[in-house]
Amino acid sequence: MAAKNKTAGTAIKKSTPEKVFTIFNYAFFTLISIIMIIPFWHVLMMSLSDVNETMKGGIFLYVKGFNVDTYSQVFKNPMIWTGFATAIGVTLIGTLGGTLLTAMMAYALSKPRLRFGKVLMVLVLFTMLFYGGTVPSYLLMKNLRLIDNRWALILPGLISAYNVIVMRSFFSSISDSFEESAKLDGANDVTIFFRIIIPLSKASIATIVLFNAVMYWNDYFSTVLYINSTDKWALQAVLRNMLTNTQQAMQQAGVNVRASSNVTAETIKAGSVVVATVPILIIYPFLQKYFVKGVMIGGVKG
Amino acid sequence: MAASKEKKPKGFNSPAVIWKDMKRDRWLYFLLLPGIVFFVIFKYMPIFGLRIAFMDYNQYAPETSTWVGMKHFVRLFTTNSFVPVLINTIKIAGLKLLIGFPFPVILALMLNEVTNMKFKKAAQTFLYLPHFVSWVIMAGIVMNLLDPTTGAITQVLSKLTGSSVNVLTDTKLFVPMLIISDVYKEVGWGTIIYFAAISGIDPQLYEAAAIDGAGKWKQCLNITLPSIKPTIIIMLIMNTGNILNAGFDQIFMLYTPTVYKVADIIDTYVFRMGIVKADYSFSTAAGMFKSIVAFILVCTVNEIAKRTDNDSIW
Repeated sequence: MAAKNKTAGTAIKKSTPEKVFTIFNYAFFTLISIIMIIPFWHVLMMSLSDVNETMKGGIFLYVKGFNVDTYSQVFKNPMIWTGFATAIGVTLIGTLGGTLLTAMMAYALSKPRLRFGKVLMVLVLFTMLFYGGTVPSYLLMKNLRLIDNRWALILPGLISAYNVIVMRSFFSSISDSFEESAKLDGANDVTIFFRIIIPLSKASIATIVLFNAVMYWNDYFSTVLYINSTDKWALQAVLRNMLTNTQQAMQQAGVNVRASSNVTAETIKAGSVVVATVPILIIYPFLQKYFVKGVMIGGVKG
Repeated sequence: MAASKEKKPKGFNSPAVIWKDMKRDRWLYFLLLPGIVFFVIFKYMPIFGLRIAFMDYNQYAPETSTWVGMKHFVRLFTTNSFVPVLINTIKIAGLKLLIGFPFPVILALMLNEVTNMKFKKAAQTFLYLPHFVSWVIMAGIVMNLLDPTTGAITQVLSKLTGSSVNVLTDTKLFVPMLIISDVYKEVGWGTIIYFAAISGIDPQLYEAAAIDGAGKWKQCLNITLPSIKPTIIIMLIMNTGNILNAGFDQIFMLYTPTVYKVADIIDTYVFRMGIVKADYSFSTAAGMFKSIVAFILVCTVNEIAKRTDNDSIW
């Protein structure tokens, strides 16, 4: 022990209980990771399995009788495609527009010299603590004639007070010297914002992009509230429909859900869940590195 | 410039000076403008729309709606359907807070002790994953696992207890299921917040403590925990504000009329009364009651935190 510690130099002596803890710790997080991933894995394996096996149920740790009939049937439902199209459009426009508007607002509010800036910030904060509620929001959209219009899925979510706070505290941390030297060259605040501040803020903008994109992609309730025509539904609402009205949803698509056609309600449900989850899983690893950064910025007092 | 902070120059707030400053910053106001328009329309108009809680709202001719004062709030507490809903809301949200709150702190402390960077990153990736998946998807998975005949968890439970149970329609098991699935989905996201706070602690503090002979456990108690206390308090304040937010998406996706008795919360109630039954004024009153209570709670807890510890969100 002693010799080992000497060669390790700065290494801090580890007592036996600490060693036990280390082993326990690694085992614990391995277990947690498995618990977190297994329900998703189970649904994926089930969706690829043979109908007779899925009717027996139980846990699917591997494919039992591989086939892709479920997916060929799920994709026959045209609503899956329109749902994807709506969700992609809404997410793209909402995320890009929302992030830009959030950043513009947060930048202006991050300047202590701005007259009425503090009052405006309090008014923004207030909306985080006090919410008009479902019915007034619904009536507002009705008055704006946005019911059954896809813009109703985009507009209400563009800016959130929380995102403004996160961005504002980030912009506050940028040194004033960039702004001052640009001002000497005759640039105005808009030019400074777009040419200097935005390129400096890629990481925090990526965080807001992530938050917005996840929010728009996962939004189910807006469709329920504001959209009547099924061909304008976003993906989450389509998925929900396939989970609760499996038989009718598939019948409309000309698919008979019964064991003889090698699909059951259970496999259709499992397949729909997988189809809606995969896009998130694909972009998740690319965006993951921004989580911690974003949360750390957000953790700073607003 | 620095001096102007302590001693504002003469005439700092005279209209002429304010106007001059505003003209100087006109481009900043230009950047601000779309945001202000957004907040006025989509955040403040609905708040202004709360006035229908004091009216008998006529949806076909809104201008003919009549003011009725507190009628709908009185109705709220005299009808026998709202109070049970309020109790359910507090019960579910309270249990979620009580049970869900400590886990992320503990997980973050433990995760901090993992020294292998690759392992740490992989564990984080899995831990946060459910947070990014919608409740529609999570509910789909929960319903799959709890299916009364084929569900994997149902089959395990029936083997253990010897009788088959349907958790989704069982009034005793439904609320525990809500809490477990909520902790499952959100524990990772909570962890990341504390973990970020822990990684901001000055490593010199640990080095000094190690030299003084403090073991890991003592370091955790005397350095880590006190350092992340402000974060814990801020999270607690934010969570208290959510005490009447028992989780609309989750419950809406999972509940059925059989479990309304235990699982109906204010938001689901407002949705059914307002959007489905079109009783606009009454459901707005219910929603407004919720907003006001939450607002008072956040302000109170924030004030207490400020007085006792100087930690507050504003």
